[in-house]
Amino acid sequence: MRPILLQGHERALTQVKFSKEGDLLFSVSKDHVVCAWYSANGERFGTYKGHQGALWTVDVDPTTTLLATGGADNTLRLWEIKTGKELKRWEFNTSIRRAEFSEDGRQLLGVTEKRQGQLSNIFVYDIVPDVTADQSTDPTLHITVELPRVTVAGFSALSRYIITGHENGSVAQWDAKTGELIKEEFPHEDGMSVTDLQWSSDRTYFITASKDKTAKLIDSETLEVLKTYVADTPLNSAAITPEPTNYVILGGGQAAMDVTTTSARQGKFEARFYHKIFEEEIGRVRGHFGPLNYVAVSPDGKCYCSGGEDGYVRVHHFDPPYFDFRFEVERERERGLQM
Amino acid sequence: ADSAKRSSADKAVVDARRRMLSEWYAWRERVVEDLAIDRDDLGLGEKSEEQMALEVDVEAEGEGKVVE
Repeated sequence: MRPILLQGHERALTQVKFSKEGDLLFSVSKDHVVCAWYSANGERFGTYKGHQGALWTVDVDPTTTLLATGGADNTLRLWEIKTGKELKRWEFNTSIRRAEFSEDGRQLLGVTEKRQGQLSNIFVYDIVPDVTADQSTDPTLHITVELPRVTVAGFSALSRYIITGHENGSVAQWDAKTGELIKEEFPHEDGMSVTDLQWSSDRTYFITASKDKTAKLIDSETLEVLKTYVADTPLNSAAITPEPTNYVILGGGQAAMDVTTTSARQGKFEARFYHKIFEEEIGRVRGHFGPLNYVAVSPDGKCYCSGGEDGYVRVHHFDPPYFDFRFEVERERERGLQM
Repeated sequence: ADSAKRSSADKAVVDARRRMLSEWYAWRERVVEDLAIDRDDLGLGEKSEEQMALEVDVEAEGEGKVVE
């Protein structure tokens, strides 16, 4: 599994996202520039310039027409992917920590940072998936979150709920129409931040990563913890490979300032693969010189990528054995289905 | 005796995996079915827009023909 290294960022990567077709890859970093790449060969497709500060988040709509970005310059921006043109800019009192489209691309949410005198806020905008359309300036929904700082958020299946992860390790479920808080659960250790939340392809379940060194697979409807993946390092990110493969990929590692030695082994800068159903670790992929800040899997399941504190994006295309690998009980089940 | 102990431990692991597998697929079947019903009730297609993005790609590669 020979990786492709994407060199173009000068600072730590913060988020990487594949287009829904899997052919493009978008990356944001602390260096203010949004990059788009061809995932097949790592060539740069383009850049999106205009942000003034570190970027924290990027997402792409289902038709790969619109790109949303947000960061430390207190703006959430919408771009035309093909031309790099900025189509819309929303301004806030604090930075944007997370931006995400709904599964139909008709809504976009932005999470603002909690600061002294400012709670975390979630703003939802209706989106017209047309580059010539006027996008609305006012949100259709605004939730002032009176819970600990929101770190991650997204829309569940059918855009029924907004699910949020928090700095105290909690996960909450909100009515995506009314903004009403429905449920709050504590899947992670108290006080250990939820660092990532990524969906299954149908958004009926999701995975959370946490500084408590675990990732949890959670039911979008009930918020019940379905699976737990135990790692040996604080986690920054977790991704679910698309069915029929049954893996999750975790990324993390201790920042250099937090460990006594800066050796890669000590920092544990590896992507870890676990069997989604059996919760067992099955492999690791090395390469980064610093913590993995984000891992993403292509929606077609053909490759995954990691964005590191070291400023690199590494794209790994899976070799055939990856797709053929089965536990004996899985083979048994497949044989049973064929009969 | 050691190997007997080991093989019974192995069997326990395999049994546990088998159980996890069947529980998982039973849950998935239920959830997928519920979602399909909800999508139908809302007058939506079988798959979400983001899942459709992959389908279109397959057709473009000629692996699945669109019948007009």
